[in-house]
Amino acid sequence: MSKILCSVATRGRYFTTLPLVIQAILNQSRLPDKLIIFDDNDEPQDMRNEPLYQNLFYVMHCKGLDWEWVYAPKKGQHHIHQMANTWGFDWVWRVDDDAIPEPNVLDTLSAYALGNVGAVGGTVMNPPHKPECLGSSGLIKNIYSEPNIQWGLIDEVKMVEHLYCSFLYRAGVHDFNLGLSRVAHREETLFTYGLHKKGYDLFVVPDAMTWHLKSPTGGIRSEVGQEMYEHDERIFRNFVEHKDKTIVVLNCGLGDHIVFSKILPKIKNPIVFTCYPEVVPGRSIAEAQSLFGDIDQWNIYKKMDAWKWTESIEKAFERMYL
Amino acid sequence: MILISPYSKKLTNGKENPKNYPYWKELLSMIDEPVIQVGITGETQICTDFRQNLSLDDLKMLLQACRTWIGCDSFFQHLAWSEGKPGIVLWGISDPLIYGHPENVNLLKGREYLAPNQFLWWEAYEFDADRFVKPDVVLKHL
Repeated sequence: MSKILCSVATRGRYFTTLPLVIQAILNQSRLPDKLIIFDDNDEPQDMRNEPLYQNLFYVMHCKGLDWEWVYAPKKGQHHIHQMANTWGFDWVWRVDDDAIPEPNVLDTLSAYALGNVGAVGGTVMNPPHKPECLGSSGLIKNIYSEPNIQWGLIDEVKMVEHLYCSFLYRAGVHDFNLGLSRVAHREETLFTYGLHKKGYDLFVVPDAMTWHLKSPTGGIRSEVGQEMYEHDERIFRNFVEHKDKTIVVLNCGLGDHIVFSKILPKIKNPIVFTCYPEVVPGRSIAEAQSLFGDIDQWNIYKKMDAWKWTESIEKAFERMYL
Repeated sequence: MILISPYSKKLTNGKENPKNYPYWKELLSMIDEPVIQVGITGETQICTDFRQNLSLDDLKMLLQACRTWIGCDSFFQHLAWSEGKPGIVLWGISDPLIYGHPENVNLLKGREYLAPNQFLWWEAYEFDADRFVKPDVVLKHL
Protein backbone atom coordinates (compact mmCIF):
# COMPACT_ATOMS: atom_id res chain seq x y z
CA MET A 1 0.00 0.00 0.00
CA SER A 2 1.23 3.51 -0.79
CA LYS A 3 2.87 5.34 2.11
CA ILE A 4 1.43 8.74 2.97
CA LEU A 5 3.25 11.51 4.77
CA CYS A 6 1.19 14.24 6.39
CA SER A 7 3.10 17.53 6.44
CA VAL A 8 2.10 20.62 8.38
CA ALA A 9 4.12 23.82 7.96
CA THR A 10 3.56 26.15 10.86
CA ARG A 11 4.51 29.61 12.01
CA GLY A 12 3.12 31.73 14.82
CA ARG A 13 0.27 29.39 15.71
CA TYR A 14 1.59 27.25 18.56
CA PHE A 15 -1.39 28.08 20.76
CA THR A 16 -4.13 29.00 18.30
CA THR A 17 -4.99 26.69 15.42
CA LEU A 18 -2.00 24.30 15.29
CA PRO A 19 -3.24 22.08 18.17
CA LEU A 20 -6.65 21.87 16.49
CA VAL A 21 -4.99 20.77 13.25
CA ILE A 22 -2.96 18.09 15.03
CA GLN A 23 -6.05 16.81 16.79
CA ALA A 24 -7.98 16.72 13.50
CA ILE A 25 -5.17 14.68 11.96
CA LEU A 26 -5.24 12.33 14.94
CA ASN A 27 -8.97 11.89 14.44
CA GLN A 28 -8.68 10.76 10.83
CA SER A 29 -10.41 7.48 10.04
CA ARG A 30 -7.30 6.63 8.00
CA LEU A 31 -4.15 7.84 9.71
CA PRO A 32 -1.15 8.89 7.62
CA ASP A 33 1.97 6.75 7.90
CA LYS A 34 3.85 9.67 9.39
CA LEU A 35 3.17 13.22 10.56
CA ILE A 36 5.87 15.86 10.29
CA ILE A 37 5.36 19.29 11.83
CA PHE A 38 7.73 21.70 10.06
CA ASP A 39 8.29 24.47 12.58
CA ASP A 40 9.08 27.73 10.76
CA ASN A 41 8.65 29.98 13.80
CA ASP A 42 10.98 32.91 14.23
CA GLU A 43 11.68 31.70 17.77
CA PRO A 44 11.06 27.96 17.74
CA GLN A 45 10.24 26.26 21.02
CA ASP A 46 10.54 22.73 22.31
CA MET A 47 6.87 21.84 22.49
CA ARG A 48 7.61 18.72 24.54
CA ASN A 49 7.71 21.10 27.50
CA GLU A 50 4.13 22.30 26.92
CA PRO A 51 1.38 20.33 28.70
CA LEU A 52 -1.02 20.69 25.75
CA TYR A 53 1.51 19.22 23.34
CA GLN A 54 2.62 16.59 25.82
CA ASN A 55 -0.96 15.32 25.67
CA LEU A 56 -1.11 15.48 21.89
CA PHE A 57 2.17 13.59 21.60
CA TYR A 58 0.79 11.03 24.05
CA VAL A 59 -2.26 10.50 21.85
CA MET A 60 0.01 10.08 18.81
CA HIS A 61 1.93 7.43 20.72
CA CYS A 62 -1.27 5.63 21.77
CA LYS A 63 -2.59 5.66 18.20
CA GLY A 64 0.71 4.44 16.79
CA LEU A 65 1.23 7.53 14.63
CA ASP A 66 4.88 8.00 13.74
CA TRP A 67 5.71 11.70 14.07
CA GLU A 68 8.57 14.11 13.85
CA TRP A 69 9.04 17.78 14.71
CA VAL A 70 11.40 19.41 12.22
CA TYR A 71 12.83 22.90 12.73
CA ALA A 72 12.54 24.44 9.27
CA PRO A 73 15.10 26.70 7.57
CA LYS A 74 12.98 29.90 7.70
CA LYS A 75 13.06 30.35 3.95
CA GLY A 76 9.35 30.01 3.34
CA GLN A 77 6.89 27.19 3.11
CA HIS A 78 7.83 26.24 -0.47
CA HIS A 79 11.19 25.03 0.89
CA ILE A 80 9.32 23.08 3.55
CA HIS A 81 6.98 21.48 1.03
CA GLN A 82 9.92 20.53 -1.15
CA MET A 83 11.49 18.79 1.87
CA ALA A 84 8.25 16.87 2.40
CA ASN A 85 8.00 16.19 -1.34
CA THR A 86 11.37 14.46 -1.31
CA TRP A 87 11.17 12.78 2.11
CA GLY A 88 10.72 9.38 0.46
CA PHE A 89 6.98 8.79 0.73
CA ASP A 90 4.66 7.91 -2.13
CA TRP A 91 2.13 10.63 -1.35
CA VAL A 92 2.08 13.77 0.76
CA TRP A 93 -1.02 15.14 2.41
CA ARG A 94 -0.29 18.78 3.05
CA VAL A 95 -2.40 20.43 5.69
CA ASP A 96 -2.12 24.12 6.52
CA ASP A 97 -1.66 25.06 10.17
CA ASP A 98 -5.13 26.64 10.26
CA ALA A 99 -6.94 24.04 8.14
CA ILE A 100 -9.04 21.58 10.09
CA PRO A 101 -9.93 18.47 8.09
CA GLU A 102 -13.07 16.48 8.85
CA PRO A 103 -12.24 12.95 10.07
CA ASN A 104 -12.86 11.32 6.68
CA VAL A 105 -10.71 13.61 4.53
CA LEU A 106 -7.54 11.58 4.17
CA ASP A 107 -9.52 8.36 3.73
CA THR A 108 -11.56 9.98 0.98
CA LEU A 109 -8.66 11.64 -0.81
CA SER A 110 -6.46 8.54 -0.67
CA ALA A 111 -9.16 6.50 -2.38
CA TYR A 112 -8.37 8.52 -5.51
CA ALA A 113 -4.58 8.21 -5.18
CA LEU A 114 -4.26 5.77 -8.04
CA GLY A 115 -3.12 5.43 -11.63
CA ASN A 116 -2.25 8.71 -13.29
CA VAL A 117 -3.52 10.93 -10.48
CA GLY A 118 -1.08 13.67 -9.47
CA ALA A 119 -3.13 15.38 -6.76
CA VAL A 120 -6.58 15.37 -5.24
CA GLY A 121 -8.30 17.91 -3.02
CA GLY A 122 -11.64 18.61 -1.46
CA THR A 123 -13.56 21.62 -0.27
CA VAL A 124 -11.65 24.14 1.81
CA MET A 125 -14.40 26.13 3.49
CA ASN A 126 -13.51 29.62 4.61
CA PRO A 127 -15.96 30.84 7.31
CA PRO A 128 -18.21 32.77 7.09
CA HIS A 129 -18.71 31.77 3.43
CA LYS A 130 -21.86 29.75 2.82
CA PRO A 131 -21.26 26.09 1.97
CA GLU A 132 -22.62 26.07 -1.58
CA CYS A 133 -21.48 25.01 -5.02
CA LEU A 134 -19.74 27.80 -6.91
CA GLY A 135 -19.81 26.35 -10.41
CA SER A 136 -16.14 27.12 -11.01
CA SER A 137 -14.15 25.29 -13.67
CA GLY A 138 -10.84 24.85 -11.86
CA LEU A 139 -9.04 25.66 -15.13
CA ILE A 140 -5.95 27.84 -15.07
CA LYS A 141 -7.25 30.09 -17.85
CA ASN A 142 -10.11 31.12 -15.55
CA ILE A 143 -8.05 31.69 -12.44
CA TYR A 144 -8.51 35.46 -12.51
CA SER A 145 -12.21 35.36 -13.38
CA GLU A 146 -13.80 32.79 -11.06
CA PRO A 147 -13.75 31.88 -7.37
CA ASN A 148 -11.51 28.98 -6.46
CA ILE A 149 -13.43 25.76 -6.94
CA GLN A 150 -12.28 24.49 -3.53
CA TRP A 151 -13.91 27.43 -1.75
CA GLY A 152 -17.31 25.89 -2.42
CA LEU A 153 -19.06 22.57 -1.97
CA ILE A 154 -17.99 19.95 -4.49
CA ASP A 155 -20.88 17.75 -5.54
CA GLU A 156 -19.09 15.50 -8.03
CA VAL A 157 -15.60 14.37 -8.94
CA LYS A 158 -14.18 16.93 -11.31
CA MET A 159 -10.90 17.17 -13.17
CA VAL A 160 -9.12 20.48 -12.59
CA GLU A 161 -5.81 22.10 -13.46
CA HIS A 162 -4.76 23.46 -10.07
CA LEU A 163 -5.43 23.05 -6.36
CA TYR A 164 -4.84 25.16 -3.31
CA CYS A 165 -4.33 25.10 0.46
CA SER A 166 -4.62 21.46 1.54
CA PHE A 167 -4.58 18.43 -0.74
CA LEU A 168 -2.99 15.02 -1.27
CA TYR A 169 -0.29 14.85 -3.94
CA ARG A 170 2.00 12.31 -5.55
CA ALA A 171 5.46 12.84 -4.07
CA GLY A 172 8.72 13.26 -5.91
CA VAL A 173 7.45 13.75 -9.45
CA HIS A 174 7.46 17.54 -9.60
CA ASP A 175 9.36 20.18 -7.65
CA PHE A 176 8.11 23.24 -5.83
CA ASN A 177 9.35 26.50 -7.32
CA LEU A 178 12.11 27.57 -4.93
CA GLY A 179 12.55 30.84 -6.79
CA LEU A 180 9.54 32.33 -5.01
CA SER A 181 10.04 34.77 -2.15
CA ARG A 182 9.65 33.76 1.50
CA VAL A 183 5.97 34.58 1.32
CA ALA A 184 5.60 31.85 -1.33
CA HIS A 185 2.49 33.40 -2.79
CA ARG A 186 0.78 31.02 -5.27
CA GLU A 187 3.23 28.23 -4.46
CA GLU A 188 0.59 25.52 -4.32
CA THR A 189 -1.13 26.72 -7.49
CA LEU A 190 2.20 26.72 -9.35
CA PHE A 191 3.04 23.31 -7.97
CA THR A 192 -0.24 21.63 -8.82
CA TYR A 193 -0.46 23.31 -12.22
CA GLY A 194 3.05 21.95 -12.85
CA LEU A 195 1.75 18.45 -12.08
CA HIS A 196 -1.05 19.02 -14.57
CA LYS A 197 1.42 20.24 -17.22
CA LYS A 198 3.44 17.10 -16.68
CA GLY A 199 0.41 15.04 -17.65
CA TYR A 200 -0.86 14.02 -14.23
CA ASP A 201 -4.58 14.18 -13.49
CA LEU A 202 -5.84 16.53 -10.78
CA PHE A 203 -9.24 16.13 -9.17
CA VAL A 204 -11.50 17.81 -6.71
CA VAL A 205 -13.78 15.34 -4.98
CA PRO A 206 -16.92 15.54 -2.82
CA ASP A 207 -17.19 14.62 0.84
CA ALA A 208 -13.72 15.83 1.83
CA MET A 209 -14.31 19.03 3.77
CA THR A 210 -11.57 21.03 5.41
CA TRP A 211 -12.43 24.06 7.53
CA HIS A 212 -10.03 26.89 6.94
CA LEU A 213 -10.13 28.71 10.29
CA LYS A 214 -8.05 31.62 9.15
CA SER A 215 -6.37 32.95 12.21
CA PRO A 216 -5.87 36.70 12.41
CA THR A 217 -2.34 36.20 13.70
CA GLY A 218 0.58 34.06 12.65
CA GLY A 219 0.67 31.93 9.58
CA ILE A 220 3.32 30.64 7.29
CA ARG A 221 2.75 33.59 4.98
CA SER A 222 2.96 36.24 7.70
CA GLU A 223 5.17 38.60 5.78
CA VAL A 224 4.40 42.23 5.15
CA GLY A 225 6.63 43.01 2.18
CA GLN A 226 4.38 43.88 -0.74
CA GLU A 227 7.33 43.43 -3.08
CA MET A 228 7.45 39.74 -2.19
CA TYR A 229 3.85 39.24 -3.27
CA GLU A 230 4.47 41.20 -6.44
CA HIS A 231 7.59 39.16 -7.22
CA ASP A 232 5.74 35.88 -6.78
CA GLU A 233 2.65 37.07 -8.63
CA ARG A 234 4.84 38.09 -11.58
CA ILE A 235 6.35 34.61 -11.74
CA PHE A 236 2.92 33.04 -11.53
CA ARG A 237 1.53 35.25 -14.30
CA ASN A 238 4.49 34.37 -16.52
CA PHE A 239 3.75 30.67 -16.10
CA VAL A 240 0.09 31.26 -16.93
CA GLU A 241 0.98 33.38 -19.96
CA HIS A 242 3.12 30.54 -21.29
CA LYS A 243 0.56 27.87 -20.51
CA ASP A 244 0.28 26.74 -24.13
CA LYS A 245 4.04 26.56 -24.59
CA THR A 246 6.58 23.94 -23.64
CA ILE A 247 9.13 25.91 -21.65
CA VAL A 248 12.65 24.71 -22.43
CA VAL A 249 15.53 25.98 -20.30
CA LEU A 250 18.96 24.71 -21.34
CA ASN A 251 21.08 25.65 -18.34
CA CYS A 252 23.68 23.05 -19.27
CA GLY A 253 26.82 22.54 -21.34
CA LEU A 254 27.61 22.99 -25.03
CA GLY A 255 27.59 19.25 -25.73
CA ASP A 256 24.20 18.92 -24.04
CA HIS A 257 22.87 21.64 -26.33
CA ILE A 258 24.11 19.71 -29.36
CA VAL A 259 22.37 16.55 -28.17
CA PHE A 260 19.21 18.48 -27.31
CA SER A 261 19.08 20.04 -30.79
CA LYS A 262 18.12 16.62 -32.19
CA ILE A 263 14.93 16.44 -30.15
CA LEU A 264 13.90 20.08 -30.45
CA PRO A 265 11.85 19.44 -33.62
CA LYS A 266 9.73 16.89 -31.72
CA ILE A 267 8.76 19.35 -28.95
CA LYS A 268 5.31 20.84 -29.16
CA ASN A 269 5.22 24.63 -29.27
CA PRO A 270 8.55 25.24 -27.53
CA ILE A 271 9.85 28.47 -26.07
CA VAL A 272 13.58 28.07 -25.59
CA PHE A 273 16.03 29.69 -23.17
CA THR A 274 19.60 28.80 -23.99
CA CYS A 275 23.25 29.24 -23.02
CA TYR A 276 24.45 28.63 -26.59
CA PRO A 277 22.14 30.35 -29.06
CA GLU A 278 24.51 29.49 -31.90
CA VAL A 279 23.60 25.82 -31.31
CA VAL A 280 20.02 26.10 -30.06
CA PRO A 281 18.48 29.50 -30.84
CA GLY A 282 16.53 31.09 -28.06
CA ARG A 283 16.34 33.70 -25.33
CA SER A 284 18.84 34.08 -22.51
CA ILE A 285 19.01 32.09 -19.28
CA ALA A 286 18.91 35.36 -17.34
CA GLU A 287 15.53 36.07 -18.90
CA ALA A 288 14.29 32.63 -17.86
CA GLN A 289 15.34 33.36 -14.28
CA SER A 290 13.57 36.67 -14.37
CA LEU A 291 10.37 35.17 -15.78
CA PHE A 292 10.11 31.94 -13.81
CA GLY A 293 12.21 32.36 -10.67
CA ASP A 294 13.80 29.01 -9.97
CA ILE A 295 15.12 27.41 -13.15
CA ASP A 296 16.60 24.39 -11.41
CA GLN A 297 13.41 22.55 -12.30
CA TRP A 298 14.85 22.37 -15.83
CA ASN A 299 18.34 21.26 -14.76
CA ILE A 300 18.78 18.04 -16.73
CA TYR A 301 21.55 16.81 -14.44
CA LYS A 302 19.43 17.23 -11.31
CA LYS A 303 16.62 15.44 -13.10
CA MET A 304 18.83 12.53 -14.13
CA ASP A 305 20.12 12.31 -10.57
CA ALA A 306 16.59 12.28 -9.18
CA TRP A 307 15.50 9.70 -11.75
CA LYS A 308 18.57 7.54 -11.04
CA TRP A 309 19.06 7.70 -14.77
CA THR A 310 21.03 5.03 -16.65
CA GLU A 311 20.05 5.70 -20.27
CA SER A 312 21.37 8.33 -22.67
CA ILE A 313 21.14 12.04 -22.04
CA GLU A 314 19.15 12.31 -25.28
CA LYS A 315 16.50 10.04 -23.78
CA ALA A 316 16.58 12.12 -20.59
CA PHE A 317 15.77 15.23 -22.60
CA GLU A 318 12.95 13.32 -24.27
CA ARG A 319 11.52 12.33 -20.90
CA MET A 320 11.73 15.93 -19.74
CA TYR A 321 10.17 17.64 -22.71
CA LEU A 322 8.14 15.17 -24.79
CA MET B 1 44.32 13.01 -41.49
CA ILE B 2 43.20 12.37 -37.94
CA LEU B 3 41.61 15.02 -35.78
CA ILE B 4 42.13 14.98 -32.02
CA SER B 5 40.30 16.91 -29.34
CA PRO B 6 42.35 15.97 -26.28
CA TYR B 7 40.79 17.92 -23.42
CA SER B 8 37.51 18.32 -21.66
CA LYS B 9 36.75 21.78 -20.35
CA LYS B 10 38.77 23.21 -17.49
CA LEU B 11 37.45 22.69 -13.99
CA THR B 12 36.54 25.64 -11.83
CA ASN B 13 38.87 24.44 -9.06
CA GLY B 14 41.88 24.55 -11.41
CA LYS B 15 42.59 20.83 -11.09
CA GLU B 16 43.01 18.43 -14.01
CA ASN B 17 39.69 17.33 -15.42
CA PRO B 18 39.28 13.64 -14.51
CA LYS B 19 37.80 13.05 -17.99
CA ASN B 20 41.09 13.99 -19.70
CA TYR B 21 42.99 11.13 -21.34
CA PRO B 22 46.48 10.82 -19.79
CA TYR B 23 48.44 9.10 -22.57
CA TRP B 24 48.15 11.43 -25.54
CA LYS B 25 51.87 11.82 -26.18
CA GLU B 26 52.42 8.05 -26.19
CA LEU B 27 49.43 7.56 -28.43
CA LEU B 28 50.50 10.22 -30.91
CA SER B 29 53.97 8.69 -31.17
CA MET B 30 52.32 5.50 -32.41
CA ILE B 31 50.16 7.13 -35.11
CA ASP B 32 51.68 7.20 -38.57
CA GLU B 33 49.57 9.80 -40.35
CA PRO B 34 48.96 13.55 -40.10
CA VAL B 35 47.21 14.71 -36.93
CA ILE B 36 45.50 18.02 -36.22
CA GLN B 37 44.78 19.05 -32.65
CA VAL B 38 41.76 21.26 -31.95
CA GLY B 39 41.09 23.07 -28.72
CA ILE B 40 41.11 26.42 -27.03
CA THR B 41 43.69 28.87 -25.80
CA GLY B 42 45.39 27.68 -22.64
CA GLU B 43 45.28 23.99 -23.44
CA THR B 44 48.57 22.12 -23.75
CA GLN B 45 49.80 21.80 -27.31
CA ILE B 46 50.65 18.18 -28.14
CA CYS B 47 50.67 18.41 -31.96
CA THR B 48 52.60 20.65 -34.29
CA ASP B 49 49.33 21.64 -35.92
CA PHE B 50 47.22 23.00 -33.06
CA ARG B 51 44.18 24.99 -34.19
CA GLN B 52 42.69 27.04 -31.40
CA ASN B 53 39.31 28.63 -30.82
CA LEU B 54 37.76 27.50 -34.09
CA SER B 55 34.14 28.28 -34.79
CA LEU B 56 31.63 25.44 -34.82
CA ASP B 57 31.44 25.76 -38.63
CA ASP B 58 35.22 25.41 -38.96
CA LEU B 59 35.20 22.38 -36.68
CA LYS B 60 32.45 20.82 -38.76
CA MET B 61 34.50 21.31 -41.94
CA LEU B 62 37.55 19.70 -40.33
CA LEU B 63 35.39 16.82 -39.20
CA GLN B 64 34.20 16.22 -42.73
CA ALA B 65 37.78 16.35 -44.01
CA CYS B 66 39.37 13.95 -41.50
CA ARG B 67 39.56 10.17 -41.81
CA THR B 68 38.44 9.85 -38.22
CA TRP B 69 38.87 11.58 -34.88
CA ILE B 70 39.86 10.78 -31.30
CA GLY B 71 38.66 12.62 -28.23
CA CYS B 72 37.67 12.37 -24.61
CA ASP B 73 34.19 12.98 -23.16
CA SER B 74 33.70 16.60 -24.20
CA PHE B 75 31.35 18.61 -26.39
CA PHE B 76 33.44 17.56 -29.42
CA GLN B 77 32.15 13.98 -29.41
CA HIS B 78 28.59 15.35 -29.50
CA LEU B 79 29.44 17.70 -32.35
CA ALA B 80 30.97 14.86 -34.38
CA TRP B 81 27.93 12.67 -33.66
CA SER B 82 25.69 15.51 -34.78
CA GLU B 83 27.71 15.70 -38.03
CA GLY B 84 27.43 11.95 -38.57
CA LYS B 85 31.19 11.41 -38.29
CA PRO B 86 32.09 8.42 -36.10
CA GLY B 87 35.30 8.41 -34.09
CA ILE B 88 36.97 7.08 -30.96
CA VAL B 89 36.07 8.36 -27.48
CA LEU B 90 38.39 7.62 -24.55
CA TRP B 91 36.35 7.26 -21.36
CA GLY B 92 37.47 7.39 -17.74
CA ILE B 93 34.94 8.27 -15.08
CA SER B 94 31.91 9.33 -17.11
CA ASP B 95 29.52 6.70 -18.40
CA PRO B 96 29.38 6.20 -22.19
CA LEU B 97 25.91 4.67 -21.83
CA ILE B 98 24.70 8.06 -20.58
CA TYR B 99 26.97 10.59 -22.28
CA GLY B 100 28.18 8.64 -25.29
CA HIS B 101 26.81 7.66 -28.68
CA PRO B 102 26.76 4.07 -29.91
CA GLU B 103 27.89 5.19 -33.37
CA ASN B 104 31.36 5.83 -31.93
CA VAL B 105 34.00 3.42 -30.67
CA ASN B 106 33.67 4.02 -26.94
CA LEU B 107 36.77 2.78 -25.14
CA LEU B 108 36.13 2.30 -21.45
CA LYS B 109 38.65 0.40 -19.33
CA GLY B 110 35.92 -0.94 -17.09
CA ARG B 111 32.67 0.10 -15.48
CA GLU B 112 34.28 -0.28 -12.06
CA TYR B 113 36.26 2.88 -12.85
CA LEU B 114 33.17 5.03 -13.40
CA ALA B 115 32.26 7.76 -10.93
CA PRO B 116 29.60 6.48 -8.52
CA ASN B 117 27.44 9.54 -9.17
CA GLN B 118 27.39 10.57 -12.81
CA PHE B 119 25.46 13.79 -12.20
CA LEU B 120 27.69 15.66 -9.75
CA TRP B 121 30.16 18.31 -10.82
CA TRP B 122 33.30 16.61 -12.10
CA GLU B 123 35.22 18.80 -9.64
CA ALA B 124 34.12 16.29 -7.01
CA TYR B 125 36.47 13.67 -8.47
CA GLU B 126 40.26 13.45 -8.72
CA PHE B 127 42.11 12.81 -11.95
CA ASP B 128 43.42 9.24 -12.07
CA ALA B 129 45.35 7.97 -15.09
CA ASP B 130 44.68 4.39 -14.10
CA ARG B 131 41.03 4.73 -15.15
CA PHE B 132 41.88 4.82 -18.87
CA VAL B 133 42.83 2.27 -21.52
CA LYS B 134 46.46 2.30 -22.70
CA PRO B 135 47.46 3.68 -26.15
CA ASP B 136 47.96 0.23 -27.70
CA VAL B 137 44.26 -0.49 -27.12
CA VAL B 138 43.36 2.72 -28.91
CA LEU B 139 45.65 1.96 -31.81
CA LYS B 140 43.87 -1.35 -32.46
CA HIS B 141 40.68 0.57 -33.19
CA LEU B 142 42.20 3.29 -35.33
